[in-house]
Amino acid sequence: MNQSFYGLLLFIFLVIPPVANFMESVMVIHMHMQMPMLVIAGFLMARFFQKRFPGFFVKWNSNGLPGILLFVIIMVYWMLPRTMDEALTTQTVEAFKFFSLPFLAGVSLRNSWKKLSSLGKNVVIISFTVMFIGLGWLYIWSPVQLCNNYLLIEQVTLGWAFLTTAIGLVIYLGYNFFIDPSAYE
Amino acid sequence: MKMEADLKTGFKDKTNKMLGFYPEDAKISKSYIAVAFIALLVGGFLGLLQGLNRAGLLELPTWFNYYQVLTAHGLLLILVLTAFFTIGYFYAALSHNLGGLLPKVRKFAWSGFVIKLIGFVLAVIPILMNEASVMYTFYPPMAAHPVFYIGLALIVVGVWMCCIGAFIQVANWRKNHKGQHVPILSYFATGVFVLLFFALMFVAVEVLFMIIPWVFGWVETINVMVARTLFWAFGHTLVNIWYLTAVSAWYVVVPKIIGGKRWSDLLTRVVIIALVIMNITGGFHHQIIDPGINEVVKFMHVFMSLAIGFPSLMTAFALFAVFERTARRKGGKGLVGWWKKMPWGDVRFLAPFIAMVAFIPAGAGGIAQSTNQLDQVVHNTMWIVGHFHLTLGMSVVMTFFGISYWLVPYISNRVLTPQINRLGVIQTWIWTIGMIFMSGSMHYVGLLGSPRRTSYSTYGDHATALGWDPYLMLLAVGGTLLIIGVILQVYAVFNMMFFAPKGETEFPIAEEEDNATKTPYLTERWGLWIVIMLIVVAMAYVIPLTEFIVNAPPGSPPFKTW
Repeated sequence: MNQSFYGLLLFIFLVIPPVANFMESVMVIHMHMQMPMLVIAGFLMARFFQKRFPGFFVKWNSNGLPGILLFVIIMVYWMLPRTMDEALTTQTVEAFKFFSLPFLAGVSLRNSWKKLSSLGKNVVIISFTVMFIGLGWLYIWSPVQLCNNYLLIEQVTLGWAFLTTAIGLVIYLGYNFFIDPSAYE
Repeated sequence: MKMEADLKTGFKDKTNKMLGFYPEDAKISKSYIAVAFIALLVGGFLGLLQGLNRAGLLELPTWFNYYQVLTAHGLLLILVLTAFFTIGYFYAALSHNLGGLLPKVRKFAWSGFVIKLIGFVLAVIPILMNEASVMYTFYPPMAAHPVFYIGLALIVVGVWMCCIGAFIQVANWRKNHKGQHVPILSYFATGVFVLLFFALMFVAVEVLFMIIPWVFGWVETINVMVARTLFWAFGHTLVNIWYLTAVSAWYVVVPKIIGGKRWSDLLTRVVIIALVIMNITGGFHHQIIDPGINEVVKFMHVFMSLAIGFPSLMTAFALFAVFERTARRKGGKGLVGWWKKMPWGDVRFLAPFIAMVAFIPAGAGGIAQSTNQLDQVVHNTMWIVGHFHLTLGMSVVMTFFGISYWLVPYISNRVLTPQINRLGVIQTWIWTIGMIFMSGSMHYVGLLGSPRRTSYSTYGDHATALGWDPYLMLLAVGGTLLIIGVILQVYAVFNMMFFAPKGETEFPIAEEEDNATKTPYLTERWGLWIVIMLIVVAMAYVIPLTEFIVNAPPGSPPFKTW
């Protein structure tokens, strides 16, 4: 309960207009801080839904695949430049962002991750790594502005953020591959 | 006869093992600590020359000018003293805690030692030839002789060897002690070496990929802002590495010396993790008045810098809790009366205690400086020099001194005599008074506008500049007291290392309190903490660095300004 409450607090904090305005004013903060924080808020609130509707999750997400698929679809959707632009110009899309990231992506991530096999987890991380490298490449070397709302320099910054995140993921994968925690714990 | 000797050595080996003492490992720590204190002696004298020059009492000759002295003073005390002491101290802890160093790890430590010394000699030669008076920050576009940078690069490699050695040692111990927590002092060592390992990457990129090609003339210009940013990502982390080293003694050693227990194992480990995660990003506040960074980014970084203050406040709370509990257990009474029960005559307590107290104004000053508007007033003045001497020269170095009074006898198989203890107490007070004079007058004269990084000048007898003179004179008085402190300290260290009576000295590590809560195993998952640290670093540096590189102004050719 505690956790869900903190998740709700984080969610409310992110929705407050000055906070949302500030975070959306910088492209990389918009995509790499606001959006993940919304997912984290949902991830924390998931505990509440899991306790409230246990049957629902067992019925629809017994092996974690539907959930993680939903998570991936929502994440990929919000990584498109076009959707970010739309969130800034159209109120309903902005509302959908604040709904979909915590409640569709965050909750389903929490409910699915532990159910996945290690192969499944690795497939998810590897595909995100490849996607991040691709998006990094796109945002850095695209000669034109991809978002109407952000300058070219912000786009390049976001590209580097994608690439550094991808590097972080590669390090994590390498760490997982080479280090066996059971040798230490 | 032979059997008797065998029996005797066998017995000795056994007692050594019981005490966690390994002669071959002690040799490593001893060499590192000896180099550290030789650096203190030489660097201290260079500091005196600067102090006397700034007071207008001493004109330095043209063949050994103020800026040369300043560069050497910085390099000796900031790099050599601290790095060698930290490594010597933590390797002693790793050896004692983790059942002796592995032969492989010893090799790493010795190769690191040799590579660092070679690097250091290479860096000093151009300084002596007045070819590298770039001060310890070696900011481009000032360019030193290429050999200076090659020396620095070698020092980086040497420290990396020590990091890798420490990682191997800790990983090996954990494999053989599944599910156990790494002993607390080795846990501190792990945190420090993780920070060193990653922080050095920034300065390695700066030196190897930016400065060296530029001073050799392979590229014509350098991006100054990027170089400064990389330097401070390393530089500020180094500051906190010293601090974390000092803190390790405050948490673990000081409670034992006063006869108390460690207050909270979990809190201690959380402080270490917090410092490791948030440290590198703090570097940006050293550039808080640099041009070319927009206000939003600066504001973000002020937040990051102040976040580091939080674990420090936790530390202050924990330490005073230990003091009060211990003193009350010994019969201390009243709101302040329990203070009398502390071992004031024991240098191993007194020196770190004064160091802790000094950290209160030092930390407060640091908070003032990381605030953009306040820093505008003091940034290029002697205030900063005063701050640095209060933090490094008092909080950190006095703790190092306090450590030396048990560590040096421990690694030398000798004892701390009452005479040396008394000498240490006297040294501690001389150092305290000297530093109050010197650092205090530096702070004040800085507020009055006296600039840093300049040799003595009255600016054509300008009234304002003449008004600084009394304070600068106090600075010289403080500096003179400090050199007496340096001589006493170095004497004490070498006395304990080679001449003190033989005997066993204990490695003081305090126990946890009896009713302590169990620390969750999560604290041991360094992989997780390092990934979080890397994410925080990316969050802090991607925006400004992209801006500096993509919207870069024309680069700068090398300049020799002296």
